[in-house]
Amino acid sequence: MARKLSYKMAVNEALDLEMTRDPTVILMGEDIVGGAGSPGEDDAWGGVLGVTKGLFAKHGARVMDTPLSESAYIGAAIGAAACGMRPVAELMFIDFIGCCFDEIFNQAAKFRYMFGGKAETPVVIRAMIGAGYRAAAQHSQMLTPIVTHIPGLKVVCPSNAYDVKGLLIQSIRDNDPVIFCEHKNLYAHEVDVPLESYAIPFGEAAIPREGRDATIVTYGLMVHRSLEAAEKLAREGVDVEVIDLRTLSPMDWDTVIESVEKTGRLIAVDEAHPRCSIASDITAFVAQHAFRALKSAPQMVTAPHSPVPFSPTLEDIYIPSAETIAGAVKKTIIQKMVAA
Amino acid sequence: MSDNPFPVDKAGLLEAYRMMKTIREFEERLHIDFAKGDIPGFVHLYAGEEAVATGIMMHLNDRDRIASTHRGHGHCISKGVDVHGMMAEIYGKETGSCLGRGGSMHIADLSKGMMGANGILGAGAPLICGAGLAAKFRGDGGVGITFFGDGAANQGMVLESMNLAAVWNLPVIFVCENNGYAEATSRDYGTAVKSYVDRGAGFGIPGVHADGTDFFAVYEVVGELIKRAREGGGPALLECEVIRFFGHFEGDAQTYKAKGENEYNRANRDCLKIFRAKVTEAGVISDAELDAIDGEVAELIEDSVASAKAAPLPSPKDLMSNVYVSY
Amino acid sequence: MTPSVGIIANPFSARDIRRVVADASGVQIAERANAVLRVLAGLYACGVRHAVMMPDRAGLMHHVLRGIARAGNQGLQRYPEVAPLDMPLFGTVEDTRTAAALMRAGGAGAIVALGGDGTHRAVISACAATPIAAISTGTNNAFAEQNEPTVVGLAVGLAVTGQLPAALAFRANKRLDAVIGGQTHIALVDIALVSDRHVGAKALWKPETFRELYVAFADPTLIGMSAIAGLIEPLSRRDAFGLQVIFAGEGRAARARLRAPIAPGLIAPIGVADWRRIAPGEAIVPRLEAGSLAFDGEREIAFSRKDKVSITLREGAFRSVDIAACMRAAATQGLLREDTPNEDAGDGPLLMAASASS
Repeated sequence: MARKLSYKMAVNEALDLEMTRDPTVILMGEDIVGGAGSPGEDDAWGGVLGVTKGLFAKHGARVMDTPLSESAYIGAAIGAAACGMRPVAELMFIDFIGCCFDEIFNQAAKFRYMFGGKAETPVVIRAMIGAGYRAAAQHSQMLTPIVTHIPGLKVVCPSNAYDVKGLLIQSIRDNDPVIFCEHKNLYAHEVDVPLESYAIPFGEAAIPREGRDATIVTYGLMVHRSLEAAEKLAREGVDVEVIDLRTLSPMDWDTVIESVEKTGRLIAVDEAHPRCSIASDITAFVAQHAFRALKSAPQMVTAPHSPVPFSPTLEDIYIPSAETIAGAVKKTIIQKMVAA
Repeated sequence: MSDNPFPVDKAGLLEAYRMMKTIREFEERLHIDFAKGDIPGFVHLYAGEEAVATGIMMHLNDRDRIASTHRGHGHCISKGVDVHGMMAEIYGKETGSCLGRGGSMHIADLSKGMMGANGILGAGAPLICGAGLAAKFRGDGGVGITFFGDGAANQGMVLESMNLAAVWNLPVIFVCENNGYAEATSRDYGTAVKSYVDRGAGFGIPGVHADGTDFFAVYEVVGELIKRAREGGGPALLECEVIRFFGHFEGDAQTYKAKGENEYNRANRDCLKIFRAKVTEAGVISDAELDAIDGEVAELIEDSVASAKAAPLPSPKDLMSNVYVSY
Repeated sequence: MTPSVGIIANPFSARDIRRVVADASGVQIAERANAVLRVLAGLYACGVRHAVMMPDRAGLMHHVLRGIARAGNQGLQRYPEVAPLDMPLFGTVEDTRTAAALMRAGGAGAIVALGGDGTHRAVISACAATPIAAISTGTNNAFAEQNEPTVVGLAVGLAVTGQLPAALAFRANKRLDAVIGGQTHIALVDIALVSDRHVGAKALWKPETFRELYVAFADPTLIGMSAIAGLIEPLSRRDAFGLQVIFAGEGRAARARLRAPIAPGLIAPIGVADWRRIAPGEAIVPRLEAGSLAFDGEREIAFSRKDKVSITLREGAFRSVDIAACMRAAATQGLLREDTPNEDAGDGPLLMAASASS
């Protein structure tokens, strides 16, 4: 049975289900209880945006507030994972990853390989990503390309509540370290979500809209902007396929290549900065592996190579819009290919 | 045994000596073979600091965990990691503890509670908090010990971890192996307050000092710290003053050391000599018994080198194996 | 030139296991350096212009010199010139002995020693007739009397500059000697014999190992082994005898059971089988045949049946600066006081006038 559930509550529900199922699942993070040790309510916040609200009441000591000390507690989550627990650590904003790069990149990501396959580090690091919250340069980044770059990490970035639930459950059950990226501007977005538990396998992109004329490959909030652009273009007679990658590592290359081979046009849409981004990664891969299928030069739609601005007028133009995406799609259609 | 004045029975003393001697012989041999060009990469030797690893590890079992440093061979050997596997690992062979993928700085054996040597200074501290947390959730009485040097003592993650361990009252012991040199930089230059024990006070965890050249001093102090941690008494900080017989890494000419420093320390502050003198003077163990161990250890190391040299290299087709558990 | 004063500050005192088995305090290096600076300020105020200091490998002296340099940067003249002793460093108690011997040889007027009883014992073993002023920064601080370092600096400054006569400023102290294997080892307060036959972590915290105790004085306001004797028969530093205590156990019944503060925060039940006063010069052979000798609360020497041990109380064994006597004399003799001549003194005594009018 399904009912409407928000992206935010899908995170909560997935955590609750897995904690109930598996006693080795523990949660830690800054203010995920949000009031521990204070004179008022213990469970006052339940996370800075209320994502983990109620889990402390239900699961008690397995939900732990931490000091504001990312190196220590993200490292502890990784250490506990190497010792048989399944910790889900919340890095409130992915921007804070700078304080625990070492623990994630040099420790968690490398244990398995460096120790000759004898280590498992089933840790999940949840973090909010994305701009649009008027949170400025240090609380609005994507950084998805940075984590995707690192072998040993898996990177998940769902676009809707259904995927959040299934992918978070899979993340917790997965035996590799997973960076689970939650777009803060999608927290209120609702879709039908089944009550029961289910897992969505990694490396399987979704195709929320099929089309014949062009392929938009994207993830996260940009899935919605891309769908909006596709609707607009449909009214103009252009039939666009939209691929929601869902996981950036592993990446579902097959679905991307198949689609481009069908449509002959690629538009890679990424809310991250353009250089060494998910968009440039996809564009390069397609150029290398499906060059002959391309009818026009692939287009990238990304945020600019600048920090995220604070002023709302600037932030609004910083984030790629449906219009920009639609414009890029049109560019692939009116372009003439240089003779091969 | 009524004539044994030590807090360890004779079998335990022999085991401790064998551990220390194995570490020493392993490191002395690497020093020679590295100079010959037989060994790839970076090697950081633990010789001189054996009493610390051994004095601590004699209290631990496989359920207890340690997180080590770049200078990790001694911790590995005393925690029970197979010497043949270690030697093969350092030679980059498929038979190595980590299939030749880790090398000297990344030897681990989680089945022995050895969470890895670590190329990142201070990185063991957050990890061991996790080990302590896991032990606490399991309620199995396990403890976690992390090692770091006087250099890494200045890493933020070490200090953050002390705070976290105190906040969560974790069964964790922070062991500062203070050999006086952060790589080549003297602690006199690189540390504002040169007493690492003092760091504990800032986090409300007790800081104690032990002479790292005396197995018995380390053994007794650590015994109390571990007992306290197992019983729920929380984390503690131990600073052991130790001697690094070799340089920071092999190939280091050590010109920053004082003239005669290594010779003086080898003659007067060698933890193996100190141990031997104590147990033989007390009449508990004879020189002949220790000499016999020396012979066995020499054979073991010789054999480990021979088999490491003869072992197969990893196959190029396995370059990508074990990046993930499943992908 | 005024006489020099020696400064020995042990960076390693207050670091042992009693921070874990009890709640003993740890005095941080930066605090120890501050204490030295306070001593130096007191010395300077009384006219001492030169001090020599033991270097160390834990950066204590480095902090002191940094403090002096900072004052210098601010244009403040508050401290004597401090010269580090030129000596090799091993990071062991040998450093303290070497420094004390060099200070004595260099003619220091006194040695201010910061540490626990162990530090002060090491200084006294090597400083001969040079008086010591002891400041406690250790765990067991039975020997040093509790004084603010600034005041110690003032008292020592008055004493070494001759503003106070030696007979008043310095006092003679008892000590205990233990002879083992022809070598003499000293204790300032107590010698305990314990059944542990190894030295290990050195500290004493397990009452079940206690066998015999010899004390030079026994003050029930202190902690440590001497506190045990102090709870039976208090003896002052000036009394002309010491005390021998035999603990209960190993077939000896307890004549008295005490609750004694044997370490900071550690109050232990102690059974005492017997005790008696001991006279200076009397060589006592302990009953315990094998174990270890603990001096002022720290196991130092393990001994076995083969070793011959004897213990003797010595009178007038070393000199210390009598801080209280110095400061009382400073007050009565107006050494730290300057009276304004009558004609400049305004309208006369305010308090006297007020009390007269009430």
